[in-house]
Amino acid sequence: MSFAYTRREDERLLTGQGRFVADIDVPGCLSAVFVRSPVAHGRLRSVDCSPAASVPGVVGAWSAVHLTGLPACAQTAADLPDLPPIPPVLLASLSTREAVAGREWPTLATDRVRYPGEAIAVVVAEDRYQAEDGAAAVGVVIDPLPAAVTTAAALDGTVTLFEGMSNVAFEFEAGHPIDEEVWRSAAVVVEARYRQQVLLPSPMECRAFLAVPRGDALTVWCSHQMPHRLRRELAEVLGWPPGRIRVIVPDSGGAFGSKSAIFPEYVVTATLAVALGRPVRWIEDRMESLLAATRGRGQDQRVRLAAGADGRLLAYELAIDADVGAYPHLGAALPTQTARMATGPYLTPRVHATVRSVLTNTMMTYPYRGAGRPEAASALERTMDELARRLGLDPAELRRRNFIPPERFPYDTPTGRRYDSGNYAAALDLALETLGYERWRRERDRRRADPAALPLGIGLACYVERSGGEPGGLHEFGGVEACPDGTVVARCGSAAGGQSHETTFSSLVADTLGLDPARVRLIEGDTGEVPEGVGSFASRSAQIAGAALQRAARTLIDQARQRAAALWELPVHKVSWSRGTLRAESDPPAAADLGELVKETGPLRVDDRFEGAMAFPFGTHAAVVEVDVDLGTVRVLRLVAVDDCGVAINPVAVHGQALGSAVQGIGQALYEGVPFDDAGVPVLPNGLLDYLLPTIAEVPPVDIAATTTPTPVTPLGAKGAGESGCIGTPPAIVNAVADALRLADPGLLQMPLTPDVVWRAARASENARRAAAAREPGRAENAQRSGHGAHGTSGGADRSRHGADRTGRGR
Amino acid sequence: MRITLVVNGRDYLLDVEPRRVLADVLREDCHLTGTHLGCELGVCGACTVLLDGEAVRSCLLLAVQCDGRPIRTVEGLASPDGRPHPLQEAFSAEHALQCGFCTPGWLMLAAGALESDPALADDPERLAALLGSNLCRCTGYTPIYRAVLRAAGRPPAEPPA
Repeated sequence: MSFAYTRREDERLLTGQGRFVADIDVPGCLSAVFVRSPVAHGRLRSVDCSPAASVPGVVGAWSAVHLTGLPACAQTAADLPDLPPIPPVLLASLSTREAVAGREWPTLATDRVRYPGEAIAVVVAEDRYQAEDGAAAVGVVIDPLPAAVTTAAALDGTVTLFEGMSNVAFEFEAGHPIDEEVWRSAAVVVEARYRQQVLLPSPMECRAFLAVPRGDALTVWCSHQMPHRLRRELAEVLGWPPGRIRVIVPDSGGAFGSKSAIFPEYVVTATLAVALGRPVRWIEDRMESLLAATRGRGQDQRVRLAAGADGRLLAYELAIDADVGAYPHLGAALPTQTARMATGPYLTPRVHATVRSVLTNTMMTYPYRGAGRPEAASALERTMDELARRLGLDPAELRRRNFIPPERFPYDTPTGRRYDSGNYAAALDLALETLGYERWRRERDRRRADPAALPLGIGLACYVERSGGEPGGLHEFGGVEACPDGTVVARCGSAAGGQSHETTFSSLVADTLGLDPARVRLIEGDTGEVPEGVGSFASRSAQIAGAALQRAARTLIDQARQRAAALWELPVHKVSWSRGTLRAESDPPAAADLGELVKETGPLRVDDRFEGAMAFPFGTHAAVVEVDVDLGTVRVLRLVAVDDCGVAINPVAVHGQALGSAVQGIGQALYEGVPFDDAGVPVLPNGLLDYLLPTIAEVPPVDIAATTTPTPVTPLGAKGAGESGCIGTPPAIVNAVADALRLADPGLLQMPLTPDVVWRAARASENARRAAAAREPGRAENAQRSGHGAHGTSGGADRSRHGADRTGRGR
Repeated sequence: MRITLVVNGRDYLLDVEPRRVLADVLREDCHLTGTHLGCELGVCGACTVLLDGEAVRSCLLLAVQCDGRPIRTVEGLASPDGRPHPLQEAFSAEHALQCGFCTPGWLMLAAGALESDPALADDPERLAALLGSNLCRCTGYTPIYRAVLRAAGRPPAEPPA
């Protein structure tokens, strides 16, 4: 066959031979289906599983009876032992023990339900259809309680999620409080409120978990980002040594941050597999995922930005009320990422960011592609565009005046980050050039003078983000083994979910060794094959695992040379390595292929743990939009994404991820949102017909471009990639719409910019202009500009949550 | 119910419950797991297969509705000699898949459309409208559009603005 697939992953995935969890055929496997809370908040009065027991095919149905003394459920096979609560995510400081203490997340609800979709009971049957029949037969009685689904509602004190405890589970600040005198004496202060709406990560494959017991061991297949962590956590909840559990991540249908934790469904499924002595699987369906999978973003923000008349930034303040969901286990401290990145790419001398993590009656917030950095970039960049408008400055020029210049790196920010390297102006310049900035500015001005033309706007967003992870999680396992047949096996502790690791890492190791990539094979995502590992999240795999594999490969060369030198009784410096062959400048000359050396001297394997450091990718995104103010629709005419991820190991993969990420960013800006009914239950009755993921019809012309500023923190020079579109694209688009509408109040535009939101903002903007014109004919524009005063405050932060009349898309 | 599913030219004699959807029977009874379920409500298109040559959502059809009718799945896309289908080659060449979960649905959607209407590749608006029927969360769609054009022997181009 002459055809060569571009990626190693491609052949199986294109021919139907991929192996996702639900594809794995284990004889006798049972299916688990969960009975979930239909209400957002309530007292659980009773759970009656007995009707399920008589449903054909049902093996058993269980609630949390052993924990609470609720009426007993059918137990046709075995008792369900007391389920331990779900362990909190302490890694990367996503949660803390203090936040969780007294607020335990039960694996199955005991006496209270705190979010819609919370698991109450489980039914296990011979197949999925029968398990769903059984679940439908389970009787649940809940006395509803008032629910709080916004931070404002949860903070007003009428709804308490945990009796006697605050709804604020965690507080944090970065930087120091800013003296009021700074704000009083500044030439301009912009104040605004923003809502970073709740998003559903929505990988195409929902969560999937298969547990197969054999003897005293358990093998788990799971679509997961961190197999070694899942093994540790399963060992903890089962009370087993980790060595008895093997976690395998087969092909994974995407994660985007949503698949790195342990969830109640995993604990129950593993527990039942062990208790029943039979394979059990749980394959989440989409409606379940929309209700009970983790969500991203969810912040209400207040900002103040002060500048001198010359546009130099003086101070920035960001106050975050983060909606972290019903239990503080998964992401209560995630908003610290936003606070720490509040400084952005600017030299602002004073920056202060505060976080209140507020419990609400919703499923939990957790990292979703960008994970705290989009929220930081969005708040700052929207405010920068408004500041430029107030100062009458070109938004690009305002940013250029304030960038941290390349010679100032490493740069310690007031919010506690040490930026490794950057050339922010280079990314901005490339974005403006790629866009044709001046040409679009002329077109915008032309349309402003033409009442018949649809208004056009240009928006910029300059971002800096963090990749690699947080202290304690900046290391990764990388191993390289030479085989007697001349091939090389690379092992790494990451686990791919579509990021092309097999292709990229095999090539990286092959390049380092000087071998044909066909001689190198990657093994990852299997705790039985890889001794330790951290995983794939925080844009860390290329940066940290890549550097680990590169170092392991170099070490392998050194060890091979030492072996050959010993074999040939020569000093090491006399032995050279070239393209997998060892040679000695001896008399007579000696030479051996790597495979021959292994055959002669025994196994040659390097297992390495690389300790990395954070890096800070950056870039500029620019959008041009056209707004139909009568319909409220937004048409993105052009999007430019310039990202700098340092050295790109696989530029094709980086390009693909940048594009996919940008389209997810378009989704946040314009389409995706979760409306709630009055009782606090998400209103998504038609699934993905209601939660609007972008289709090809929503994809504008996009230019992806790159600058390259290597990180000095690893020899490889790679920073993280793939999250940029979710960070830079949303504020670029929203800024463009604000520019088109000549909006005086940024708070009028809260994501997603549905036709309803845009129509109302356009009307408000137009009314303000008319009122100003009536007051001072001929000076309408100036009057409108200062209409809110230098210290004007914007409102409407909660509007997007309830005002989403999603009647149409933007085209 | 006893039915015969004719999948990729092979007969599968099955005894299925009338309520079972085609996707589940293909996956679990025929062991053809290349067809994936992304939403089970007919929205995402990951489960698209060809029935009588036409693209259908296999999550919205009962297997018993398909008794005796020819079905084609991703497993039947390549030539019997193993040579990849032009769409398979083009998807790889254009980086039109990342995680690959939705990919079989795209391949079957495009295969059915190009076979019944080759001129589709010359009409950007109609092609984009067709590809608007499926969801992908990784690629950003443009590579998929380019791949379909490439498979049809046209120069890859961007979707219409």
